[in-house]
Amino acid sequence: MPHISLEHITKRFGKFVAVDDLNLEIDDRGFITLLGPSGCGKTTTLRMIAGLETPTEGRITIDGDVVFDAAKGINIPPARRDIGFLFQNYALWPHMTVYQNIAFGLENLKWSKADTRKRVDELLALLKIEEFEKRYPSELSGGQQQRVAIARTLAPSPKVLFMDEPLSNLDAKLRQEMRTELKRLHSDTNSTFVYVTHDQLEAMTLSTRVCLMSGGVLQQYDPPLTVYNQPANRFVAEFVGNPTMNFIPADHVSGEGGEAVLRLFGREARFTAREPLAPHGGKLTVGIRPEFLPIAEGGAIQGVAYSTLPSGMETTVKVLADGVMLTSVVFGSVDYAVDEPVRMDVRGDGIVLFDAESGKRVAIGTLAL
Amino acid sequence: MGEKKLAHRCKAFFSKPSNVLLVIFLAVLFVLSVLPLITMVTNMFTVHIGTEKKILRLQEGAFTWNHFERLFPISDWSVVNFWKPLGNSFVVAIGAGVLGILIGGTVAWFITRSNLRFKKFISAVFVFPYMMPAWTLALFWINVFKNSQVGGGNVGILESMFGICMPEWFVYGLFPMVIVIALHYSPFAYLLIGGILKNMDATLEESATILKAGRMKIIRRITMPIVMPAILSTFLLIFSSGFSSYTVPVFLGSAVKTFTLSTKMRALINAGYQGQGYIIAFVSIALGCFILGLNQWFTGKRKSFTTVTGKSGQVSLVDLKKANLPISLFLCVYVLFFAIAPLISFALESVIRQPGNYSLSNMTLHFWIGTEASAYETGMISGILLNPTMWKALGRQVLLALIVAVIVGTSGMLIGYACVRRRGSRLSRWVESMAFFPYLMPAMAFGTIYLAVATSQHFKFLYGTFGMLILVASIKFLPFASRSGINSMLQISPEIEEAAMVVGVPWWKRMVRIMFPIQKSSILSGYLLPVISVMREVALFTLLVPYARYLLTTMLFSFNETGYSQYGSAVTLLIVLIIILINTLTNKLTGASFDKGIGG
Repeated sequence: MPHISLEHITKRFGKFVAVDDLNLEIDDRGFITLLGPSGCGKTTTLRMIAGLETPTEGRITIDGDVVFDAAKGINIPPARRDIGFLFQNYALWPHMTVYQNIAFGLENLKWSKADTRKRVDELLALLKIEEFEKRYPSELSGGQQQRVAIARTLAPSPKVLFMDEPLSNLDAKLRQEMRTELKRLHSDTNSTFVYVTHDQLEAMTLSTRVCLMSGGVLQQYDPPLTVYNQPANRFVAEFVGNPTMNFIPADHVSGEGGEAVLRLFGREARFTAREPLAPHGGKLTVGIRPEFLPIAEGGAIQGVAYSTLPSGMETTVKVLADGVMLTSVVFGSVDYAVDEPVRMDVRGDGIVLFDAESGKRVAIGTLAL
Repeated sequence: MGEKKLAHRCKAFFSKPSNVLLVIFLAVLFVLSVLPLITMVTNMFTVHIGTEKKILRLQEGAFTWNHFERLFPISDWSVVNFWKPLGNSFVVAIGAGVLGILIGGTVAWFITRSNLRFKKFISAVFVFPYMMPAWTLALFWINVFKNSQVGGGNVGILESMFGICMPEWFVYGLFPMVIVIALHYSPFAYLLIGGILKNMDATLEESATILKAGRMKIIRRITMPIVMPAILSTFLLIFSSGFSSYTVPVFLGSAVKTFTLSTKMRALINAGYQGQGYIIAFVSIALGCFILGLNQWFTGKRKSFTTVTGKSGQVSLVDLKKANLPISLFLCVYVLFFAIAPLISFALESVIRQPGNYSLSNMTLHFWIGTEASAYETGMISGILLNPTMWKALGRQVLLALIVAVIVGTSGMLIGYACVRRRGSRLSRWVESMAFFPYLMPAMAFGTIYLAVATSQHFKFLYGTFGMLILVASIKFLPFASRSGINSMLQISPEIEEAAMVVGVPWWKRMVRIMFPIQKSSILSGYLLPVISVMREVALFTLLVPYARYLLTTMLFSFNETGYSQYGSAVTLLIVLIIILINTLTNKLTGASFDKGIGG
């Protein structure tokens, strides 16, 4: 059963540290996404697990076998790690037909002609590309090429499947469609998926666990909803969720343990935490998800409508309050005139407090204005 | 009404600067490259003054099939003057193509795909011989290997130092021609193949690795087939360059009377058989067209591909392990040898009084700075640095290079602009292919065409003039400039110009302030390339100069043909140094370079 573990993995390109002391346990049959902005080290991490890149330090184990150990000088080549890899640009071989592309891996495993034929047919059917069997990649559309690439990767039935932003070259509609299919494929194939993306929505909707990275450092490694509801720091809170969380500067006035009095928007507010407050420097940032900031008559926060963005099912309203731009999401379609006075309320028990300086989470709880 | 409509349409058509440019270039190119070709074709059927008139006993200008009848049907004459040279040309071209690709391709693979050391150095020095004129390597070969047993019997470096005499087939003839042309064009193969290897998406190979294909299998099944179209077209380009090469076969073949088609062409014309010379020129041109067609067929097939550029920066290099240092060192020595040794040999050859004697007592600076007086004693002319003829020839060549560069560079840019703006239209296609047409014509054949024009009734005033040389060189070196102009224009989206158009910036200002600055480096190389090409060109000018010592390069040839090899070596060294100087200066000033390396 393929369980992957990374211990103290570091990768340096010259002086640049791409990945810094990364520890990661990937469970069997998990669907893990490596999420982060471009240049955060996610692709490098994936390539190191696959064996396409050599880490500078650390140890990687796949399925109990050490495939890389810098200290012991172990470095198993990618071909012997029993993995599949789906590239961002598909990397289909332009001089081979669809059939030849898919069959190539089986040929390397010395499969018989008949078995190869059978397996390729299976995959062509699975990915609904039977009619393109004799075509060359240049004669296929982006979505079709994508399917061929998936078929080629799946052909030898790898236990672990690595995917490097496989959907980023597709248009929005196709991407949606392929997302559904990938999730389906995950349960059908019974293998472990490791998926790189910079699209937080993709990470949220697909994965069982999200590994969020920034600047080569692991920020949080949790199930998607945990990442969403209990962000470890301000970076995570900001990166995950659309529209983005609201951040309001606040001062800590008094209170220890589970209760605290804060000063924000020029007034005092009472914060009740689920667990005792972590120590901090006094300056705080209050993080409120747009859904916890409803527009309400007689709400505590006074502002003016800056702009209204209806999308049918819901409406995003941007409100300027006391110099801070706030975002609220309202169910259904509403419309506010520009600069119309609006009042907002804070509700829910998912209000997050961050240390203003370090950005670390201090507490989660309710806020009464 | 209809007339009015037409007038309106014309007005609309010519209100676009790109259309105006296309029409102008179409007219100019038609006059300068198609008409001469037609003139040449008619010359294949006419009787010329001199030998032909005497033999055929026909009026000058009369129609005749005789040139064909003598040249093509198998006879002693036709074998010596056509079939044998044709065969030789094929042998040289094919040999040079294969060998050039082997050398260039191997180096390209090492530089782009392995962890070889000193990549930057090897890459920079490896392309050096391509910058030098091809005949420098030929001269170098002769300087080293000539010996008392073969050819003119002069003693070369190898014999004088080690007493080794190489056999004749090694020193002169087809074998050294193949080697020299291959060595000269291997950097070209290196640049093309290396460019493909470098830009080829590394994930294509990585995905094969993950699917458990071995190193050799990946090269055989993935890498090779993908770079194959590039290799084939490189082969065809070297083939056609080798086929039309004139200078190398002249140096390496004359002593043993081994002719190729280009050298035969000149020999026939000089001997008064113009008609047959023109026919040979036509055969070369036809072959050039055929090669281009073949090339397009190869590169335009169904399997060919547009690369989706991926994260190809992340190539995992092949570890050469223990072989790394020996291979690196070998390549360093190899590139250094072919870059430096020829220069040393020319320097050496230019200071010895008696050829073949390399002792210090035999050395003299006469050939560089000897005066008229000292020259009188030795029965020679003064040293080249004190020789007014040399300075005049040098001045003419430099002036020619500069004028041609301005014409060609500017035209290339404008053609690029006009063709890309009207891309897909018939007019644009015509201009594009017509500007590329001269590339198919071997320089010697091209010179021949213009010779035919200049000796015809109406254009006698052109014969032997400087203006004629400008004309010929401008047309001949236009293909590369227009290609690079088109390629660089294709990189720029039309929106950039349209943004300026919308706010009412006039056309010339859009060109000067927006389009040209954006393409600065490619435009500069568009100017640089013709300068270097003119500085080292011989074949194109040799039939058209009024006298041999008119230009520096033709002067060098006359020195060598008349046995003043020391002067020849001195002039060669001078030309090479000037080319290096131009390249370095442009590189330092602008960052553009003839040898844009792919390594490092």
